[in-house]
Amino acid sequence: MDIVRAKVFRFDPEVDHAPRFETFEVPYVPQMRVLDVLDYIHETLAQDIGYRWFCGVQKCGCCALRVNGRELLACWEPAQVDMVIEPLKHVPLVRDLVVDRGPFEDDLMRLETWLQRSKPHPGFPEPLFHRAMVPAIEALKCLACLACQSACPVLEDDGNTGFIGPAPLVQLAQFALDPRDGADRGRTAAIEGGIFQCISCYKCQEVCPTEIPLVDGIIEPLKRKAIASAPEKAAHTRAFLDIVEERGYIDPVQLVLKTRGLAALTRPGWALRLLLRRKVDPRKSVFPKRHKGVAQVRKLFEKMRGRRS
Amino acid sequence: MLDVLTTDVLVIGGGAAGTNAALKAADLGVEVVMVVKGLLGKSGCSVFASHLPYYDATTEQKRADRYRYAVRYYNHYLTDQEHVRRMGQYMRTEFFEELERLGFYVRRDDDGALLPSSNRVPVAAAYKQGATGIVLMNSRRRAVLRLGLPVHEECAATSLLVDQGRVVGATVLDYRRGRLFTVLAKSTVLATGHADSLATRSSATREQSADGLAMAIRAGAEVANLESCWWHVSDMRAPRAWMRMHLYPNPLLGTDQSSRLYNNIGEMFYEQISHSPGSSAPYVEQIRRLCLEVEAGRANWDGNYVSGYDHIPSETILTFQHQAKVWKKLGLDVAKDRLECGITWHMRQGGIDLDTETMQTRLPGLYVAGGLGCHYLGGVGPVSYDGKVAGTNAAQTAHLASAPVLPEAVVAAEEARLLGYLCADANGPRPIQVKTKIRAIMWELGYVKNEAKLEAARDALRELRQRELSSMRLESTSRNWNTGWLDALDVASMLDACEAICRSGLLRKESRGAFYREDYPFIDNDNWLCKVILSRVGEDNWRVRYEPYATPHLKPDKGREPFFEADY
Repeated sequence: MDIVRAKVFRFDPEVDHAPRFETFEVPYVPQMRVLDVLDYIHETLAQDIGYRWFCGVQKCGCCALRVNGRELLACWEPAQVDMVIEPLKHVPLVRDLVVDRGPFEDDLMRLETWLQRSKPHPGFPEPLFHRAMVPAIEALKCLACLACQSACPVLEDDGNTGFIGPAPLVQLAQFALDPRDGADRGRTAAIEGGIFQCISCYKCQEVCPTEIPLVDGIIEPLKRKAIASAPEKAAHTRAFLDIVEERGYIDPVQLVLKTRGLAALTRPGWALRLLLRRKVDPRKSVFPKRHKGVAQVRKLFEKMRGRRS
Repeated sequence: MLDVLTTDVLVIGGGAAGTNAALKAADLGVEVVMVVKGLLGKSGCSVFASHLPYYDATTEQKRADRYRYAVRYYNHYLTDQEHVRRMGQYMRTEFFEELERLGFYVRRDDDGALLPSSNRVPVAAAYKQGATGIVLMNSRRRAVLRLGLPVHEECAATSLLVDQGRVVGATVLDYRRGRLFTVLAKSTVLATGHADSLATRSSATREQSADGLAMAIRAGAEVANLESCWWHVSDMRAPRAWMRMHLYPNPLLGTDQSSRLYNNIGEMFYEQISHSPGSSAPYVEQIRRLCLEVEAGRANWDGNYVSGYDHIPSETILTFQHQAKVWKKLGLDVAKDRLECGITWHMRQGGIDLDTETMQTRLPGLYVAGGLGCHYLGGVGPVSYDGKVAGTNAAQTAHLASAPVLPEAVVAAEEARLLGYLCADANGPRPIQVKTKIRAIMWELGYVKNEAKLEAARDALRELRQRELSSMRLESTSRNWNTGWLDALDVASMLDACEAICRSGLLRKESRGAFYREDYPFIDNDNWLCKVILSRVGEDNWRVRYEPYATPHLKPDKGREPFFEADY
């Protein structure tokens, strides 16, 4: 008989001094999900194992965890022969695989994730076209499972960037992208959400169990709203565009100086490493040259401005 | 002594009924505390809601079809017909209005028109069928949290507190923190649903273990028609977690089509439009037809038959049906592949007896909302109406009631019971193993019931109670998220509820709706158009009474007819 070998993270802060991994051997059955493995462990091998699930069919979004380093919904993904099963990252741990969803809920209150109508509801059914709701529907697919939050590398950086993470922003987008909403969601995304700290790396999009286009369909539209509402928070984006418009290409040194200013000098080791690895060339910054195609680049900028106005 | 929280209204349960009860009570300016065994709006069965009954009342015929559906095809006349009228009025005038005001999107077409299904009793949905409950409950969750109501999540209510015949709150185990506390309330709304995980194959969510029913039985409430247990037929056979994955037999948005069932020689034996044209939730007819297939050896209860949407253009399925993603996940094609199914115990039709005008039970201070009541089968729309009525009345009672007194001896006894389970030992049956045994007993009882099977199930449950309830031992005594401890409490609830279900089944000597007794294979309106009402007095003494249903607006057309020939 085939065996699934599951190495499960165990930690009960009430009785354990330190986290440990416990390995369980579970008989494989066809089409088995990760959740079926955990249920077997609970029913047969370790009845006190802490793991959270309710629906078992990708509706409640409560069984997200990491298998071999990747975030997934336990109910949805097939079991693998060898699995290291760990709790989500960037959320406090309760026990074993159970995490504390409280901070996420607090974030949602801060973001005011409910419809704030620009006009009073005229009565059911209100005039509304399906296609007008299509962008918001992508966000409505969110199960608030926090897989994206765990996968986000910006949150890895000891959490001090001011970035709220992708999960609360998807919930914000349910209203930001809704044609009926009138609140300044762009400002919220910039100020409460720190959205400009997002590096659009697509890690969140890669792990989303309901395949929400998290960067293309959620974060980028929110960023556009944020730039319009709170341009002062978009220092990086503005500097990036200014440099490209001026020179026809991006100059990293200029970009760092313009966005971080003198603060960049507080990390000399980092600057030196960039220099040694030839990631930056200060000569180009001191003696700036325009790209020969800069006129064409500027035309593109003009075109873009024209489209906006 | 346990910590005591004091409030006006306590709401137990965080689904569509409980959240609406809490919101409506809070609207009236009383203090509300919610206790939810899982997570508000995420646990429980509301999140499973595929679609919403769309009350198109533009013609007399449509109005009559909808009413007939509710009374005859959905509740088999075991409902309060005046309640159905009031609830229908709410569905027509308030339910969608309120949901949409909060931002809920009801699926339109590209011209902006609502896009319900096109059968006789249409349904509407969120952006897709199958996703409705998720979006609706997310909206309710936000509405409750935004009001700042204290919501105790991952807290299991363990018993109702009764002081001199009046319900004055509940004891609660916060299993995340391992803390016991009591909520002392002027009125209590129980809204723990109708779907419990009581059989080996069940569509219920993990935390659902009939706690509400069991607490009410232990407090002396009357429970009615518990024998009527609905089974889903088109739920997936495997993987195990996906037995809750339901291939909806209800009509699809924009069409009058639905999934079909095929036996093991490829013959189609069920589809809604041809076999239950008057019903949009055709479960009782589905299982009757499966029963004939099983008897003929062309299907098993737990497999050997399939369901699919391959007769419908795949574009329609992919556009409107959330469940279509299952095919993709398994590497199959919804346009041609069918999935093996098995039956799952989905919900109870019966429940706690109550006065439908106020949702008050016969225990003063105790209200019930939603599928936990015996008055109507459920659904997120109808139970929202219950929530409104229960919340409003519970708040009004709280305005008038004097401060309740904590029954200290009762609390102490409950504390001793709960701590008694927190006992670790390498030997002794684990609570989860006892749960598995209870579920096996009820699975064995199954759909086809008779006197001998019901007695055998009842006796097996009694034996488990005597032999294993007090000998269960846990793996550890940690109080921090100890699933074993919670399982032990579930066992106690499940035993109480399942025993009552068996007893109720022995009392009803007919077949009707979801309840089939092969020793009484007739619908018998002449003798059994009544509630079978049970209440437990003391530890082991059950009182029985019967109460006829009034049929002021819709009467059954026949007094007695063979169960398998009836269309309802």
